[in-house]
Amino acid sequence: MGIRTVVQSKAALLCAVMVIQFGLFETGLRLKGGTEAAPEFQRLFTPDSTLGYRLKAGASARLKTADFDTRITINAAGVRDREVGPKAPGERRIVVLGDSLVMAVQVPVEETFTARLERLLNGSARPPSTYRVINAGVQGYGPVEEYLFHRDVTSALRPDIVILGLYAGNDAVEAANAGFRLRGGENRGEPDRPGALDRFTQWRRRMIRRSLVLQVARLRITTLFDRFGWRPEIDPPLRTYLHDAPPGIDTGLAVTRDVVSRLAALTSSQDARLVLLLLPARFQVDDEDYARLKAIVARSGQTLERDRATERFKAALAGLDVPVLDALPPLREASRQSRVFMESTAHFTPYGHEVMARIVAGFLLDSGMTGGQDR
Amino acid sequence: MVFNSLHFVAFFFVVYGVYRLLPHKGQNWLLLVGSYYFYASWDWRFLGLLVASTIVDYSSGRLLNRFNDHRRRTLVLIASLTFNLAMLGFFKYFNFFADNLQVVLAVIGWRPDMFTLKVLLPIGISFYTFITMSYVIDVYRRQIDPTRSLLDFAVFVAYFPHLVAGPILRASVLLPQIASPRSASAAQVAEGLWLILWGYFKKMFVADNLAQVVNQVFASGGLPSGLAIVLGTVAFAFQIYGDFSGYTDIARGTSKLLGIELNVNFRFPYFVRTPQEFWAHWHISLSDWLRDYLFLPISYALSRRLDGVRWLGQGDEFWIYSGATIITMLLGGLWHGAAWTFVLWGAYQGLLLVIFRYAAGDRRKRRRRGSLTQWTFQWKDLPAVLLMFSLTCYGWLIFRAESWSQIVLLTGRLFTSFSPSWEVLANVGLPLLVYAGPLLVIHVAEARRGDLNAVPAWPRLARYAVYGAIVYAIVLFGDFEGSEFIYFQF
Repeated sequence: MGIRTVVQSKAALLCAVMVIQFGLFETGLRLKGGTEAAPEFQRLFTPDSTLGYRLKAGASARLKTADFDTRITINAAGVRDREVGPKAPGERRIVVLGDSLVMAVQVPVEETFTARLERLLNGSARPPSTYRVINAGVQGYGPVEEYLFHRDVTSALRPDIVILGLYAGNDAVEAANAGFRLRGGENRGEPDRPGALDRFTQWRRRMIRRSLVLQVARLRITTLFDRFGWRPEIDPPLRTYLHDAPPGIDTGLAVTRDVVSRLAALTSSQDARLVLLLLPARFQVDDEDYARLKAIVARSGQTLERDRATERFKAALAGLDVPVLDALPPLREASRQSRVFMESTAHFTPYGHEVMARIVAGFLLDSGMTGGQDR
Repeated sequence: MVFNSLHFVAFFFVVYGVYRLLPHKGQNWLLLVGSYYFYASWDWRFLGLLVASTIVDYSSGRLLNRFNDHRRRTLVLIASLTFNLAMLGFFKYFNFFADNLQVVLAVIGWRPDMFTLKVLLPIGISFYTFITMSYVIDVYRRQIDPTRSLLDFAVFVAYFPHLVAGPILRASVLLPQIASPRSASAAQVAEGLWLILWGYFKKMFVADNLAQVVNQVFASGGLPSGLAIVLGTVAFAFQIYGDFSGYTDIARGTSKLLGIELNVNFRFPYFVRTPQEFWAHWHISLSDWLRDYLFLPISYALSRRLDGVRWLGQGDEFWIYSGATIITMLLGGLWHGAAWTFVLWGAYQGLLLVIFRYAAGDRRKRRRRGSLTQWTFQWKDLPAVLLMFSLTCYGWLIFRAESWSQIVLLTGRLFTSFSPSWEVLANVGLPLLVYAGPLLVIHVAEARRGDLNAVPAWPRLARYAVYGAIVYAIVLFGDFEGSEFIYFQF
């Protein structure tokens, strides 16, 4: 047997062993649970030809980590909320669209800001008026999916007010990546064929999202590069905050503006009002987190501007005649008393949800959008 | 620049790549420049100490070679030792002695306006001063010839794989290798790569993960249960072993790639039956150093004074051995750090050595099994091994404690608040099992054959399974925060 054959057979055996071990570790990590990639959590989702995926009606899962232990149940309408029955006389419905910050799997459903908002509004409602606030947040959605989700799912719930939660962190990036879904749904004339590199990147990201082993490996490599001060690319949630944002950000903001226009037209056609809720990233509120990320970005030769993404969203959405509620200033104020974002994830703490509910309730009541049915 | 950093990986790739292309002298220059860069990456200001130590001890060696009369040779030796010990004493022990002197003077009612200095401890100073001192002493004893080449000597002192945490190499081992042309054989490369992988596993998977458990148990102000103290101390035993022997494995592995062999520094130290065996298997290069340069000279000195004495029913041999052992281990404890807990740990180790030597008597001599390299672990020794491991672990409790009061507190709670609970088993016992278990399994297999490199000799499938599992364990569960090695502080 030649040397080359020996080397090849050794390499093949080593690869085979490592592939088998990959499967074993993947299985072990999934069985251990405690992450969103765990099979139990993934059962909350079902494939969808328009949206990529959506919440599966009637599904239920427990997510247990070192920081929280919650039961997540999807109702018959396909959102993380209690069942929504027929609209009662005097009932005003509010649908809150958004991503993981709105869905909030880190806290029990009754502690989410949408549930707290409902209680606050009902506390100030003049009988027989009542409010029903529906949490329509879906993990991983961006503005495009949120609009399509409302169009296809939650608009049937006949809301009077639709709140679109826009996360300044990564919504521009996600809108840019998902713009094709708008064309696929309503503008089939335009072909959408990403290049080979884009297709590879999308495939790579899909694989990493599906595999716990790859997710951890990516995290380790990023940590290692961070410590070495070398970062091949800025994380997507930070790109909208860069002084010199990459071109994709402008595209994403334009797509977001397009989405908001469409959503405004849709809600208007259903006699509903649309409100935009701008949600900040954790480091916009947390000084320590900001200092850490600023240093990381600086090592890549770029400048992180703390509120730049919020400003960019405001500028992009100006002139659409849709009210915008910026949650940053009141959250920043509230963070002086206690943490509004969790330490282990960039999601709201129960206190953060309480503050958010007060912010939104105050805005709705002060702006008269509730229709004067309040005390 | 710690071994478990990308900085070191990049540094080593560059050094190794260029090293392969250079002739012998060029390789030595590269090793010197690379080693100085490696050392300066912590704090370039201390590079001066390293260079000064190199020049002084190189010159001492040359002078010792030139002089023949005993008086002048002794003066050179004393000058060299004074320089090295003064440097070590100032940087490592100045504040310790100043603080303690202040306490002693306060007892007799004198409160002078003493001062302490903000002295930074130069990394690795305990290791390279021991290396250079051993060189000068060996030349003085005419056990080795001094090197003529300052370059070779500078590489011997600063050689980066062993510079900051050993092994404490003798000139007789390393200098001839530096002085000779060398290239790594295929076997050396394979063994080196295995040692590097195994070392990273011990450090990043075993030691760094167990550190989190240990830190909880030994947190100052905490009141852990007796069970938590037992499990936490066992976890520390594996943490410090994984940390230090992991460092040594990476050092030996990288050095093998460069074609230079470093001494084995650990040989299954938790599978031994007596303290004598423990010190022959734990930090072997330090044990040898202490034996040759402290224990034996102290024994000779004591034997001249105690020859023929008989006190408390014990003859001179007992007093000479006990005195030399206790003094050596006290100084060995102090070498680990300027704190009384380390001194107490040294005293504890010394007492164990004395007790076991005289309690075991002839039985111990009968059970001695040949040389260290022929040693194997046997299941029938398990009770003795477990007893010795328990005693070793109590030593680690003393070593790890942050103060004497914590030693007293933890020792007391071992007997008064054992309080077994599922919570402690889950939070301390389970991580201990998960992180130390795989290391233990591999070590049992290796120790049964008495072979530190048994894994590379296993059948291919088993070998590859171990390699793969280690890679996954490091990537998935290893600590990538680049925590420093424990022995850097010594």
